[in-house]
Amino acid sequence: MTSIASDIRIRPLSELDISRIVSIDERLTGVYRPEVWERRVGYYLRRDPESCPVAEFEGKLVGFMFSDVRGGEFGLEETTGWIERFGVDPDYQGRSIGRRLFDAVKSHMVRNEVVTIRTLVDKNDSDLAAFLRAVGFDNASLQALELRVGATA
Amino acid sequence: MNVEQTTLPKKFHDAVVHWQRHNFPDYGLLPENWQTYFPNDPEFCLCAKMEIGMGDTIEVGDKKGERRMMKPSEMGEEPARHLLAIIRAQASTEFGSIQQHEGTLARAQDDEDRFWVLRVMAEELRHGYQMFHLLVSQDWSGVSGQKAEEMVEEILSMQTGSHVLDAFNLEYDSFVDNVVFAAVIDRVGKYQLSMQKVCAYKPFAQSMPPMLREEAFHLAAGVIPLRRWVQRAAEGNELISTQAIQRSFNKWLPRGLEMFGHEKGGDSNIRFGFKNMKNAEAQSLYYEEVRKMIADLNQRYLRARLPKLSPDEAERLADRLMKDGGRHEGVDHEDLIRIPHPSFFRRKGEPAFTMVGTHGESYTDVDSYLRHLKQTLPEPYLHSRDLKSYLETLRDVVAGRTTVDQAIRKMPKLKRVGGMCPCSRSVRWVVEDGTAA
Repeated sequence: MTSIASDIRIRPLSELDISRIVSIDERLTGVYRPEVWERRVGYYLRRDPESCPVAEFEGKLVGFMFSDVRGGEFGLEETTGWIERFGVDPDYQGRSIGRRLFDAVKSHMVRNEVVTIRTLVDKNDSDLAAFLRAVGFDNASLQALELRVGATA
Repeated sequence: MNVEQTTLPKKFHDAVVHWQRHNFPDYGLLPENWQTYFPNDPEFCLCAKMEIGMGDTIEVGDKKGERRMMKPSEMGEEPARHLLAIIRAQASTEFGSIQQHEGTLARAQDDEDRFWVLRVMAEELRHGYQMFHLLVSQDWSGVSGQKAEEMVEEILSMQTGSHVLDAFNLEYDSFVDNVVFAAVIDRVGKYQLSMQKVCAYKPFAQSMPPMLREEAFHLAAGVIPLRRWVQRAAEGNELISTQAIQRSFNKWLPRGLEMFGHEKGGDSNIRFGFKNMKNAEAQSLYYEEVRKMIADLNQRYLRARLPKLSPDEAERLADRLMKDGGRHEGVDHEDLIRIPHPSFFRRKGEPAFTMVGTHGESYTDVDSYLRHLKQTLPEPYLHSRDLKSYLETLRDVVAGRTTVDQAIRKMPKLKRVGGMCPCSRSVRWVVEDGTAA
């Protein structure tokens, strides 16, 4: 597979990226859900577009990583960078785009005096877990717990 | 963020707050509803924000490689005068857009749309405040001939009609204008702020990144409601149509294109190290970006009308309908939004007063062109003083009674003619001498 990492342009998220993000998500999940991404992109744009790099190849958006800097959650008083949404177009996976996006997030977090970067991964998503370990993530002492209280899943 | 916050000296801060009370009465609703619409976001701060950590070296122009300047007196008279005009124009647009938004803010059908625009307005107020910080924190009297107090008063006294740029002199006709303005005119602001990040005058450059971060949300406050509206239009909602959105685009895009300045201009900005693109280059990129925005809206519309379409199929169908006209499974090409030709309805720049239609077609007589404008512009705008003045001037140009250059300068403006209160409403219609402007 040809590496295209050097031809990838990383830039902050913009409102005109919604359509491509919806398309990538549709390819990854099989579900067309523009309302979800309009709401999420609106949220991240008002927080900090530079925390949310996107990857472009030949002018086409091929990946995105949304993160946010917060503090004081779950008893964690330190400034934390949360990686919350991440997607790479299936046609462009395996070409270091995720790593480029993560590097951009990490650099931005460091500039903003973040102490720790955190994220949550589904135990069944071994590919994502492997990617995160490859870029330096390790097991955390925090454990995610949940309690279902609704009638339906 | 690596940002230093500062407030203006009390008399200037109070003047802005005084202006806000008269021109932006809905401002108080924002803190009351902040947690509902913007939970967890840092609260709004009426202050100037300066980016920390920007480089000290000039990036473009005659002084490329030299140290960035910190005082107007270091720039030389001509560059300082030029930059002062940019700062004043910037300040004028910030306050001007609030006055425009305020008129139709309450007409929003959805509270979320309304509060998004309200936040945009508050942040525009902050951007105006930012420009005042630049004006009052240094001595510009050598090139302005005015004290800081006089410059601030002059800007705060401007009303819709007397602002520096034409886009800020048009009244909104409905809440559609609030949203299309954010998508189209704020996009010009994004380009200007991006270009000005390289500015050789460091305090101005430092002002840009915090404003740009906020501007990203302003564009979203335009584009995201538009995306939802075209979905509703596709679903047959009676209260919004793609035609209404199209007409609003036709009204605003020509003014947006003119905000870049004359297509042949921009050399001075590069030479002085104030911006990194000439007018035509930036304008062209902007136009293509608007084209992409409209293509996205059309895709959103088509996929709502024809859910079986894939993204690629929707894109191909939009292209075909635009090119060939006609219909496909009940969707008419006129249901889609089309970017107006860059020469359409222009009154400044190379195409000024050339009578070009939305599709690029040319008209030879004013009455035919007027019929075209009536078919393509928002109906309430047809009754506006702005359009009346444009048509009168156009008739003079076509009849040879005035030149295009004179016509560009001749458009009536509101001018402040007296009053001590910084937000004085003592303005009247005056027509400037065409040769004096």
